[in-house]
Amino acid sequence: MASEGSVPTARQRVARQHKHPVNQLFHDEATVGERVADKAASGIGSWWFLAIQSVFIAIWIVINSIEFFTHKWDVYPFILLNLAFTIQAAFTGPVLLLSGNRQAQKDRLRLEHTAEVAETAEKSTLEILEEIERNTEATLKVLEHLKKRRGAKGGAQA
Amino acid sequence: MAQPATKAPVSLGADHKALIVHRLRRVHREPGADHKHPVNQAHYEDSTLSERLADRVAAVIGSWPFIIAQSFLMVVWVYLNVWAIFIAHWDPYPFILLNLVLSFQATYAGPIVLLAGNRQSQKDRITLEHAADESDKGEQHITKILVEIKKNTELTLQILRELEAEPS
Repeated sequence: MASEGSVPTARQRVARQHKHPVNQLFHDEATVGERVADKAASGIGSWWFLAIQSVFIAIWIVINSIEFFTHKWDVYPFILLNLAFTIQAAFTGPVLLLSGNRQAQKDRLRLEHTAEVAETAEKSTLEILEEIERNTEATLKVLEHLKKRRGAKGGAQA
Repeated sequence: MAQPATKAPVSLGADHKALIVHRLRRVHREPGADHKHPVNQAHYEDSTLSERLADRVAAVIGSWPFIIAQSFLMVVWVYLNVWAIFIAHWDPYPFILLNLVLSFQATYAGPIVLLAGNRQSQKDRITLEHAADESDKGEQHITKILVEIKKNTELTLQILRELEAEPS
C-alpha cells in the first residue's frame, strides 16, 4: 500500500480504481478484442516470455544437435527453428502496432479531456479575477466615502 | 447592490463520461474529425499525405483482421503443402518459401512500427510544448490575480488606518 501523499505505482493503480476518466473508460469500456490485445502485448513484452522463449530455443537446439537424443526433427542449420522465429516476428510486429494504436488512441482521448479541463479551469480563473476586481472597486468606494466623511468632520472641527 | 450570482463548481459529470465513450468508439471509424485540443488538431487534421499513409498502414497491420488473416493464410499454406492431393506441393516441409514470405513481412513491419512510434513521439513533443505555453498563460493569470489582491489589501489597510485615526 502506498503511504499517504505518495504517488501509487501502476501496479497499485491497476489493483485499485482508476481516478482519471480516460483511464477508467479505457479500462472499463474495452471490447474483447482490445482486452486480448492488451493481454497479448503485456504477455509478449515481459521477462517471462523472453525467459520461456530462451529455454524453448535451448532445448530445441540441444535435442537436435547432441548425439545422445535419437529423435531429431530439425537438424543443423535448424531451418524449422528459423521458421518458428519468423512466425514469432511476423506476429510480434502486428501486435506491437495493435498496442501502439491503442496507446495513440488513448493519447488522443487524454488530450481531448485535457482541453476540456483546461477550458473549465481558465473560466474559473477569469471568474476569480473578475470577482477580485469587483471587490477592489467596492473597497475603493468605501475608502473614498470614509475620506469624504472625515474631510467633512475635520472641516466642521476647524 | 446586486448580489453576485454564485455558481456551483463546474465538474465533469456523467454526460462527460458518455462523451469520452462516444469518442473512444468513433475514432475507430473516422479518424481526424473535430478535435478540440490544438495538438490533436495539428496531429490528425493537418497531417501530410505521408503521415496519413503511415497512420493508415499502422492501423491496418495493427488490427485483429490482419492478424487473423495472416494466421489463416499460414495454416492454409502448411495444409496445402503437406496434405493436399489435388495440387503440387510448391513449398514442402520445412517451408522455406513461407519462411521468406514471413521474413518479408517482418522486415517491413519493423520500420512501420518505428514510423508509428516516431509519429507518436513527435506528437508527445508538441504536446509538451503546448503544455508549456498553457502553463505560461496560467501563470500570467495568477500573477494578475495576485497583483489585484495586493491592491485590494492595500486599500483595506488604508481604510483601517482611516478608521483608527477617527476619534471615537
